[in-house]
Amino acid sequence: MKLEFEIPRIHLEDTFACAQCGYCVVQCPVYSVIGWESYSPRGRLFLFKRLGLRNPIIPRFDSEGELIKEFVERLYACTLCGRCMVVCHLGLDLLELWENLRRVAVELNYAPDVVYKLEEAILKHKNIYGMDNAMRGDWALYTGAEVPERETARVVFFAGCVTAFSGRVQDVAFAISEILNHVGEDWTMLPDEWCCGHPLLVGGALRRYREVAERNVREVERLGAEILVTGCPGCYLAFKKEYPRLLGRRLSFKVYHVSELLLEYVRRGKLSVPKLDIKIAYHDPCELGRIAGITEAPRRLLSMVGEVREPRESGLYTRCCGGGGLLKAVKPDISIRVAEVRVAQLLELKPDVIATACPSCELNLREPKAGKKLRVVDLAQLVAEALGLI
Amino acid sequence: MTAELSALLREIVGEENISVNGVEKIAYSHDIAPIPSFMAKLFRMEPDYVVRPESIEEIAEVVRLANKYRVPIVPRGSATWGYGGAVPVVGGIVLDLTGLNRIGELRDGVIEVEAGVVWKSLMERLEGTEWMLPCYPSSALSSTVGGWAATGGLGYGSLKYSSFAENVQWAKVVLPTGEIKRISADSAEEPTLKQLFGSEGTLCIFGEIGVKLVERGEVEEPFIAYFNRTLNCIRAANKLLSKTRPFTLVVKSSAFLKAGEPEEVESGAIMYGLFEGEKGEVKQSMEIFRKIIEESGGIQGDREAARDEWEDRFYPLKIKKWAPTVITSDVLLPIDTLEGFVRYAWTLGRKLRVDVDLEIMYVSPDQAVSFPLFLTDERKFSYMVHLTVAKKLIDYAIKNGGRSYGYGLWNSIHLARSEPRRKRELERLKRMLDPNNVLNPGKTVKMSSRLGFSLPRPLYSMFMEMLWVMRGVAR
Repeated sequence: MKLEFEIPRIHLEDTFACAQCGYCVVQCPVYSVIGWESYSPRGRLFLFKRLGLRNPIIPRFDSEGELIKEFVERLYACTLCGRCMVVCHLGLDLLELWENLRRVAVELNYAPDVVYKLEEAILKHKNIYGMDNAMRGDWALYTGAEVPERETARVVFFAGCVTAFSGRVQDVAFAISEILNHVGEDWTMLPDEWCCGHPLLVGGALRRYREVAERNVREVERLGAEILVTGCPGCYLAFKKEYPRLLGRRLSFKVYHVSELLLEYVRRGKLSVPKLDIKIAYHDPCELGRIAGITEAPRRLLSMVGEVREPRESGLYTRCCGGGGLLKAVKPDISIRVAEVRVAQLLELKPDVIATACPSCELNLREPKAGKKLRVVDLAQLVAEALGLI
Repeated sequence: MTAELSALLREIVGEENISVNGVEKIAYSHDIAPIPSFMAKLFRMEPDYVVRPESIEEIAEVVRLANKYRVPIVPRGSATWGYGGAVPVVGGIVLDLTGLNRIGELRDGVIEVEAGVVWKSLMERLEGTEWMLPCYPSSALSSTVGGWAATGGLGYGSLKYSSFAENVQWAKVVLPTGEIKRISADSAEEPTLKQLFGSEGTLCIFGEIGVKLVERGEVEEPFIAYFNRTLNCIRAANKLLSKTRPFTLVVKSSAFLKAGEPEEVESGAIMYGLFEGEKGEVKQSMEIFRKIIEESGGIQGDREAARDEWEDRFYPLKIKKWAPTVITSDVLLPIDTLEGFVRYAWTLGRKLRVDVDLEIMYVSPDQAVSFPLFLTDERKFSYMVHLTVAKKLIDYAIKNGGRSYGYGLWNSIHLARSEPRRKRELERLKRMLDPNNVLNPGKTVKMSSRLGFSLPRPLYSMFMEMLWVMRGVAR
């Protein structure tokens, strides 16, 4: 059986380059709650080497096939938070390795069922939940947000599936839209927004990601937008990094995370945020802080709202909330345990509120019992609240 | 028996802390050194069980069970050593000790630490206090306190404050029969702490350690200097050592010999380290450093470069990016033999046409640990030939009053020549403490294989020489 996708040669070399130093082991949020070596980045890399996965991949249904299935189970017990990558002795691009290995797992039909269901949901229903995509804009009805319908606009706000469909974080979209209205921005949303497709990359089901990317870019460009803004780091990475790579070209618009755009408004004097008497513990989302490298804008914005307190692990070394890499869907029990560790770190700061900049982080930080003690919100909500907009 | 043992182990540590899973066994079958497949066949490196105790009492119970069923038991920290100390040779139980990760009370400059605590966590615990660690390993970002106690304990800080063994007030250990014993550093009763430190997991399992701390110095000043000749750098380092006492002093060089250099090779080098202590003393040391560098033809780097190098000290294997595999043999050498050793390592590199990266860490006023890294590729036949350098470097060290830094599985064959008295003592203690030979068998004192016998040294030497002769055709 010849697979469409082959493991890039660089990754085969990585298995040998790895010094097995274990620096990634102690830093891995999943290993730290599970404690078994095979669930650590070093363990997975060693298994990859020992199982001798080579091109072309030949699925074996003997005892080794069983080992490969076990290995794949470990591949998906990972939040793809990238912490292993920043401490790697050799600077290996481990994140890309995990993503590509998941891609192989999907082709071998060894990936968890949830990945195939997710792929089907995105391709068929255009959202990760498999819901009727016509309901995507209903958040505006529930929250009372005013979303201008325009044929052209300077800014396109891309809500993303989690923000649009999950009732518990629809206030993020509400806050962003109200701020955009408050500053008098010429903005709109896509009339028929689709999933950004980033979850396809995360799951390893990339077979039709390009189609999704092409469509999304075409739609934004059709509106003549100069800026695409999103509050979701996954959507941000899709537009900012993944689409140009998939399509082989620069996009005609700039891609901003909402924290960057709001800060831009402040710089230009279009936005002035009143300071509240609150202590804010800021959780850097892995995809925004570590992978996209946006750590300053959220802090500068939040420091206008209140007193920002830094957890032990932050910025480039932020600790995962447990919600990434599809872990929440594949292994919800592990996901919550990872969240418990992070919530405990944030509560150590004795804040009035926990702020983050990602709807998935917001949801997952609320999962542990301790996370219910305190309000967990998106930074856009705090800004909108300070302005009295929501 | 297997089912019975398995059930009893579950009773001790709980269902969630034992694994017989196939991939888990693979994940626990190695340390940082790659093993050629023909050598791996001589051993059964995959454990039958991986067990994660969470207290010293659980360790003791598992060890007692191992004695009852005569099952080998292999203690494992973070597996960051390269001599096979944490790798089974005939299966058995691997004891993953990272679950013992509690840091206890800090009182009167002594901190209670469980064996599975990672050095970095301990350093973080001490941040903001008046205390600091007197010494720690170069792998401190992942290695454990117990692991370093078992494997030598020379590293950063040893130059000023001596080895880890000298900086311990007491240790609570599990002896090979399952007895828990708290041993004070000043106790003369056998086994003493000195006997157990560095016994590489063959005489005891460390459970808890009372680590002695030192008062944090008033100031810390990293330093760095560059030389266009490594031998000049070593001479300058030796001179610096005779006049100052840095916390750490390291010489690093990379020799590019792969292309086939002329007979005389040389390479640039850097010297870096850290002075810490009282302000005036550090200032004076930095002045001496500046003068020595100037007199020796080196160039002193600025503070930022010195700080960067110091902060990068936990990444000595970065060189691996240049080649898939490195071969090394860490050796402890008298400092007056360092120049000869470096020349010898380069000669080996030139003859094999491999690049040689070298790090020399001074660990006392008259000794240094040298880590020459030979860059090779384990997938090629030439790797077999390159492996011979490990033996040659140890032979050189022994001949010049040095020794192998560690033995474990791969270097145990050198113990008799390297430290004959210590070998006799370790054999005596092993007989006395481990009558059933369950604790880390086949390591340090005597290598053994799944075939039940070990390779006689003359045969091993002959085999290595044969491989060496083949170097011309194996490039």
